[in-house]
Amino acid sequence: MSHEIPYIAAINEAIQLEMERDEDVLYFGQNIATTEDDPFLKAFGSDRVRVTPISETAEIGMAVGAALAGLRPVVELYMAEFMLVAMNQVVNEAPRFRYMSGGRVKVPLVLKAGYGFTAGWAGQHTGSIYSMFTGVPGLKVVLPSTAADAKGLMATAIRDDNPVCYFHHYLLTLEHGDVPDGEYLVPFGQAAVRREGGDVTIVATGFMVGKALAAAEALASEGISAEVIDPRTLVPLDLDTILTSVEKTGRLVLVDQATRYGSASAAIAADVAEHGFSSLKAPIKQVTALDATIPYSEPMEAFLLPDEAKISAAVHQVLGGSPVATA
Amino acid sequence: MERAVPTMDAELANRLLSTMWRIRAFEERVAQLKRTMQVHGLIHLSIGGEGVAAGVCGQLRNDDGVYSGHRAHGHAIAKGAPLTGMMAELMGRVDGLCHGLGGSMHVVDREHGMLGATGVVGGNLPMAAGDALAAKLGGTDRITVVFFGDGAVQAGHFHESVNLAALWQLPLIFVCENNGMAEFTSRAEHSPVDSVSDVVAPYGFKRATVEGSDVGAVWTGFGKFLKLARRGGGPFLLECRTHRRAGHYEGDAQEYRDELAEQEWAQRDPLARFQEQALADGLIDEPTAAEIETQARAAVEAAVEGARKSTFPTAELAAELVYAK
Amino acid sequence: MTELGNDRLVWIYTQMLRIREFEERVKRTFEDHPGVIRGHTHLADGAEASIVGSVATLNPGDQILATYRCHGYPLALGTDANAMMAEIYGRTGGLCGGYGGSMHLVDPERGFLGTSGIVGQGIPHATGAAYAAQIRKRGQVVLSFFGDGSTKQGAFSESLNIASLWKLPIVYVMENNSYNVVTRSEQEDANAAAGEPLAIKATAFAMPGVTVDGADPIAVYDVVGAAVERARAGDGPTLVESKVYRLSAHGNLIAPPGVPLHYPEHEAISVFGNREEYEAALRGDPVPRFRARLIEDGVLSAEQADGIGSEVRNEMQAAVDFGLNSPLPAAERALDHVYA
Repeated sequence: MSHEIPYIAAINEAIQLEMERDEDVLYFGQNIATTEDDPFLKAFGSDRVRVTPISETAEIGMAVGAALAGLRPVVELYMAEFMLVAMNQVVNEAPRFRYMSGGRVKVPLVLKAGYGFTAGWAGQHTGSIYSMFTGVPGLKVVLPSTAADAKGLMATAIRDDNPVCYFHHYLLTLEHGDVPDGEYLVPFGQAAVRREGGDVTIVATGFMVGKALAAAEALASEGISAEVIDPRTLVPLDLDTILTSVEKTGRLVLVDQATRYGSASAAIAADVAEHGFSSLKAPIKQVTALDATIPYSEPMEAFLLPDEAKISAAVHQVLGGSPVATA
Repeated sequence: MERAVPTMDAELANRLLSTMWRIRAFEERVAQLKRTMQVHGLIHLSIGGEGVAAGVCGQLRNDDGVYSGHRAHGHAIAKGAPLTGMMAELMGRVDGLCHGLGGSMHVVDREHGMLGATGVVGGNLPMAAGDALAAKLGGTDRITVVFFGDGAVQAGHFHESVNLAALWQLPLIFVCENNGMAEFTSRAEHSPVDSVSDVVAPYGFKRATVEGSDVGAVWTGFGKFLKLARRGGGPFLLECRTHRRAGHYEGDAQEYRDELAEQEWAQRDPLARFQEQALADGLIDEPTAAEIETQARAAVEAAVEGARKSTFPTAELAAELVYAK
Repeated sequence: MTELGNDRLVWIYTQMLRIREFEERVKRTFEDHPGVIRGHTHLADGAEASIVGSVATLNPGDQILATYRCHGYPLALGTDANAMMAEIYGRTGGLCGGYGGSMHLVDPERGFLGTSGIVGQGIPHATGAAYAAQIRKRGQVVLSFFGDGSTKQGAFSESLNIASLWKLPIVYVMENNSYNVVTRSEQEDANAAAGEPLAIKATAFAMPGVTVDGADPIAVYDVVGAAVERARAGDGPTLVESKVYRLSAHGNLIAPPGVPLHYPEHEAISVFGNREEYEAALRGDPVPRFRARLIEDGVLSAEQADGIGSEVRNEMQAAVDFGLNSPLPAAERALDHVYA
């Protein structure tokens, strides 16, 4: 059985279910539970659900300490960039502690942060900064693209014994989708094949999954059959599904809303080049944001970001420049 | 400064002296091993801080949490961490407390409530607040202690943690070892406020400053707060004025400061000071004091031998421990 | 402080009115021209007396750094309202060419060095500017503006500690409006929870802390002025807690594209259901209050005050028109300015 709800509601549903299931799960952070009417506060009380001051370092650091003490905090960071204020806690404490203790401790926590509010939020609130964290061993990085995944990945994140950066895309907030009822877990490290095809593999993350599917739809009318893969989690990454697809299609287009240099896209491209080179019939093509801070004004913002047209153009390019697939 | 009048008896004096000697002997041995490269990495010694470690940790239970910083050996030993596990960790062996993956700055021994140490100044403060939150939610009377230096007070997360601890009334005792040196510079170069307990004045909770080289003063000062914390009070801040005998790290040439005259050091050496006092007060006799030192040095030597018997970890362990299974 | 002459008092009133009218126009743009303003705006209505009373203490060459709630300061410093409105509309004629928008106004020529869109993070920037001012020895003073929420940021305590230690020529002006977005300060601040003035936080840094009625521009001028004099004399920083009431919600609605943006009701009403608090704040509105005072003191006649009002309305209507008529930037300009 399933029900149709917005992406944001699916996230909340997962947190709510996990809090019901496990009384060690906490939910605290900025701008939540400020009134008695707050559903989390009503359901779980002010011990487990709390608004914090705008003190990222303390919020994340306390999550680490509470996790080491056996709790499973979910920290509401509000915006991904706010993690940068407390970079030390995210990068140099949470994921290091278990390792440096020789496995004697664990740090199960979820840093929940919205990203990519590319709707005029200008330079400091719009970044797709998840690749800053994919290079930090010990952190897991999750990028749900559908309401069902938003629920299932959050539940898995809360149950995971590691610190998990859970990045939800702001532009997907109100996107409705079918979400399974009750307990629902989406395993980490299992990509979803969103559309099957034989001519080209498109790997897209987060908000770009929808753009890639739309591009694939348009390409189908030209006789081009694109396979669209959503990795769902960047760490761990399901490289096998991508390599298997590339083996079939021989062509790869990567779509990532992040800036290119040091991005998840670049990392996947490198892995495919290393492990799937013999399958490739054309160079890998990356469709990413251009390397600049996101500007405020709309036309400039659009110019920087990947979109359907750029994805289609890249597909044409890897297919040899012809708008129609070679027979 | 609060002048302490500890209710000291022979049993307690013996216990405190034993702990302090174990720390002193351990640290001196580590310094030697460092010189011959049998201990590697960045080593921060706590000689001069034995009074704080013994006076605070000696009153804690195993289920009370302690967070320390980069200068953690003394706190771990006083909290009950086994010397062999400690030494093996510092020597990078597989039988070390953390299988050799953490080393000097990252000692963890959960069995004894040594919850962790962090190599980044003040990074432990919010974690300790989180542990105290867990303690409070857990409904027990266990408490959390966080050790930090005066250098950490200037990190923003100090004030962030203090505000939340005060707002949420957490059972947390901040123990600042104010040795007047933040890494390589004196406190006067870091803050216009000399006394760390004055920094938390705006938050309204109980605070005190004691002479850290006087283990009795530390015991009494900490004991008052501990009693209140067990009854649900908190937070508290105890500032212990200490002297860092060694450099910031082992090998530090210390060109940035003048050595205290030997005479002055003798007055601020918590171990010598306490031993003399205990002898003068008749709490111990000379042979007992000598025996305590001998036993401590023997225990440390046994720890070195035990550590040497342990192998180095396999390379694969480094990859195996990235994630919890 | 030197006694304010009538010209200066009228100037203060005029700037307060300009800020109020500008903010009203920003707010009205959401209704009159939907879609023209993107993203997030934060209005300074209610804080005009605090802003202008503070800015009035400055000399040419002094500097200001502020937060994302930043429209008021440049207006008081003389920045062209046309360019400001065009920036908020994302146009080429904007103060920052459409790269920054409402939260990131900058006018260095007038001493407005910039803002941060992240709570508290502009405080260290301002402190750095004060360090530069100190070592340049030109007698410059920096004003750092931020909200009460910022004071729980490590960036705040880290900065005030250093400023006090180095006796930097800076005045920290905390505009305490009692709300962190939708959270009341007593929910997140140990001092507020204890019923204490937030200026008490200064004692942690061995710094003077003063609380002032931010709805009274003369009181603000006196308090900030004394702090500026102290800073200029090399005696170090001061924390001023200026108690203001933000008359609009934290910002316009945060919504994905497709949902019309607008200003919701103030959080006192929309979140806490406390209409009385908000209505009391309206009764204490600093702009009409100061107008009445100037008229009562014989500084202005009602006709003169009306005349100022009509000039200001014309100026801000022109700013709206300018913004609407200024072209959107060429898309490929997005790659300019990545590197100097």
